[in-house]
Amino acid sequence: MKVLRAPFQVRGTIHPHYHKGVTAGRPIETLPPPTIVQVPMLQHLGAPSKPIVNKGDKVGVGQLIAEAGGPISASAHSPVSGTVRAITEGVAATGRPTLVIEIENDGLNTPASPLQPKPEWSSQEPSTLIGLVAAAGIVGMGGAGFPTHVKINPPPAKRIDTLIINGAECEPYLTADHRLMIERPEAIWEGIRILRHILRGPHIRLAIEDNKPDAIRAMEKVMASADDDVALVVLPTAYPMGAEKQLIAALLGREVPSGGLPSDVGALVENVATCAAVFEAVVQGHPLTRRVVTVTGSLVRRPANVLAPIGARFSDLIEFCGGLQETGGKLICGGPMMGVAQVDASTPVGKTVSGILALSRQDVAVYETHACIACGRCVRACPMSLLPCTISVAVEAGQFEETERLAVMDCIECGCCAYVCPAHRPMVQFMRQGKAQIQAIRRLKQQQNPPVPRSP
Amino acid sequence: MSGTILLIVSAVLVNNFVLNRFLGICPFLGVSKRLSTALGMSGAVVFVMTLASAVTWPLYHRLLKPLGVEYLQTILFILIIATLVQFVELVLRKYVPVLYRALGIFLPLITTNCAVLGVAVLNIRSHLPFLHSVLFGFGGAVGFGLALVLFAGIREKLERANPPKCFEGTALALVTAGLLSLAFMGFANLVKGA
Amino acid sequence: MPPILAAIVVIGGAGVACALLLAIAARYLHVFEDPRVEAITNLLPGANCGGCGYAGCADYARAIVEKGAPVNLCRPCAAAALLEIARLMGVEAKPAEKMVAIVRCNGDAVRSRRAALYHGVADCVAADFTSGGGKICREGCLGYGNCARVCPVGAIVFTESLLAVVSPERCIGCGLCVKACPRHLIRLVPASHTIHLLCSNRERGLVTRKACSVGCIACQKCIKHVNGQGIHMEGYLAVVDYTVPLPESLLDVCPQHCFVRRGLPAPPPQPAAPSAP
Repeated sequence: MKVLRAPFQVRGTIHPHYHKGVTAGRPIETLPPPTIVQVPMLQHLGAPSKPIVNKGDKVGVGQLIAEAGGPISASAHSPVSGTVRAITEGVAATGRPTLVIEIENDGLNTPASPLQPKPEWSSQEPSTLIGLVAAAGIVGMGGAGFPTHVKINPPPAKRIDTLIINGAECEPYLTADHRLMIERPEAIWEGIRILRHILRGPHIRLAIEDNKPDAIRAMEKVMASADDDVALVVLPTAYPMGAEKQLIAALLGREVPSGGLPSDVGALVENVATCAAVFEAVVQGHPLTRRVVTVTGSLVRRPANVLAPIGARFSDLIEFCGGLQETGGKLICGGPMMGVAQVDASTPVGKTVSGILALSRQDVAVYETHACIACGRCVRACPMSLLPCTISVAVEAGQFEETERLAVMDCIECGCCAYVCPAHRPMVQFMRQGKAQIQAIRRLKQQQNPPVPRSP
Repeated sequence: MSGTILLIVSAVLVNNFVLNRFLGICPFLGVSKRLSTALGMSGAVVFVMTLASAVTWPLYHRLLKPLGVEYLQTILFILIIATLVQFVELVLRKYVPVLYRALGIFLPLITTNCAVLGVAVLNIRSHLPFLHSVLFGFGGAVGFGLALVLFAGIREKLERANPPKCFEGTALALVTAGLLSLAFMGFANLVKGA
Repeated sequence: MPPILAAIVVIGGAGVACALLLAIAARYLHVFEDPRVEAITNLLPGANCGGCGYAGCADYARAIVEKGAPVNLCRPCAAAALLEIARLMGVEAKPAEKMVAIVRCNGDAVRSRRAALYHGVADCVAADFTSGGGKICREGCLGYGNCARVCPVGAIVFTESLLAVVSPERCIGCGLCVKACPRHLIRLVPASHTIHLLCSNRERGLVTRKACSVGCIACQKCIKHVNGQGIHMEGYLAVVDYTVPLPESLLDVCPQHCFVRRGLPAPPPQPAAPSAP
């Protein structure tokens, strides 16, 4: 096993204050399962899950309560045992409305996992293990939530030569992955080995930022006896080093083509938490029903890293951490760069929620937006080599086809442009607006049947 | 040879027809809203101005001068230019209808465009030999095209800007044209004696 | 040669030569353009709104003449003009009833509560994907003006408290606003109907009432009042289907005041002409 420094430079990064010191040293605490959980049907990329239980049904811990809603979708399992109280409209952490299955906890923790664990996974066919990952409802837990069983099953034409494990956690304030690497390195390492077996032996690169020396030591110790195909890569601390495409650039020097996927360049990136979830599913037979969430911010009385069941509400976690010091301020799901501001604390924790950030009014700056002064700072800061200033001006002027030409669909919404903008423009919102409008235009073009075909 | 290059450079940059001589402002403002139409218009003007120079020179020196009717140059040149432009219009309508429709009214306006008549008259006034006249016409048109394309690029970006209401549209365009003209004055001493 | 003669010969000769050149060129470079294209372009309203699906009135006229496009795609077109176009093309056309747009929401910032402050781009699409702009009702008007910006005739105005209202006198029925609204609140309805139900919220009555003071709570009093003629339920929302004109009494029947009167009232009946003495 080698320990390396990242061989390549990544363009366009920023160095915000990380504020990780508050929770980086606090061990993970387990939230006692709340009385009510609301399991969201949309907590991943792709089609929402379809409930298979009805009001009044009794369910057990780990029981399948919703199946995948399409080829790119994931199943969902109950984190508690109890009775289904309702299947109702709720809100996802992204702010979009979604169906939720509300379950009343009976406190008995009756197990009901449908998974058949395979502790001797090295003798299993990859397809069996992929089926197990699918049955466990595992999705990318780094934030994007792409269904893992689809990701680790690329088409045969796309050979994966390197599996990159994302332990970077570049988002400020968040320390969930950091604590996971310190406290459960064996689980992560076995999950990595299972994935390597499924992908038929690619190189392994575990990437960790150098602001986490204790996590690096913990993982190094556990991986010490690994062969030379495996390397632990220490990344320079910068935002957004942990973004998929930036990791591939820093570790392998390859650029994912515009509109393409990492598998196009022979790479695959998985978060450390996802690896731990794969271990729990394959070896222990537990589906994905809980995750570590960093609850922090100036308003939280006792910031902590909380192991919470999926479906616990933000208010449950905040209460566990001593509650908020005052009302008002900003409640964010995720981190300050890529997180989504919440309307209230009733949002349920989904599989991709890595942090709850409660910032006081003084900590939140509300800026007046000014016109773009074409200073170019955003161009220098953009890790995807886009022109954020031009895109934002085009979006403001309503020229959405122009934004497509400027490759707005490649934007990873990292927020570097908004961070550096001296005119305090809501850059990420402009990018999202451009993307939303382009998708609406594409949908309209598909639906519209012009009465007579026009000549080009 | 160097004299010829200097002549063209002078026509394109130093004494740019639009930005230094202030000829041809009408299509300059009218067609410069989109880069694609600006390029099309430039092509049409290059054709008309070069050909106009080539046709008017022999007509003046071999027809008007020997017959002693030099004073007819204005009306004769207008006639030739009008015919040329009509010809270009017919060709465009048949072979490039999209450009024809995009240019619209500005295509026949090349006829009354003082830049075209100007280049013909300037050739005579400067007593240039034939080849130099044609090159001067060509250079002048290229300069016109350069100014037009530059201006169109700037105007496309101005579309996204958010100026005060009183400046919107032509007002801001004219201010920009003035600034562009000032910028081109920087070429003033590029060619000595030009 | 005497100078005056020279002048006549030169100019006359040049004129004849040029004319000949152009005549020959026009012969070979002739492009046939159907005169109907120009005639139809002049008959169309000339707003270039794109509601027909073509890039402007001239483009649509060309499509009608050269590609046989249907003649009744232009909604703002006057009835007389449509009949003339149909006659030119030798087809039958029934003038469609004038349609106007209506924004099916009456929940401005006063009546429809917001749970959180929104500090972002003042655009309806942007606010919609940002947790609905903080507005509790996820199906109501956000009021940031996407519809007003695309309206070619400036028929949509905004009240101070962020609500879009279409002015039926100015609306030409082109339908651009319908596509612009990210919540699909705007609908084209016959101009002769003046009683509208302004709510699009499909949540249960209890939930709607908490979100907005003028939202439909599905009590169905309106349907009972008109005996099911012209209004029907879609889930927890009453929907007007514009098949029959609705009575003004509905304005008082609805406990949530969802009904409003908008649109041009019918012209008063003409008094009988006095008989000649």
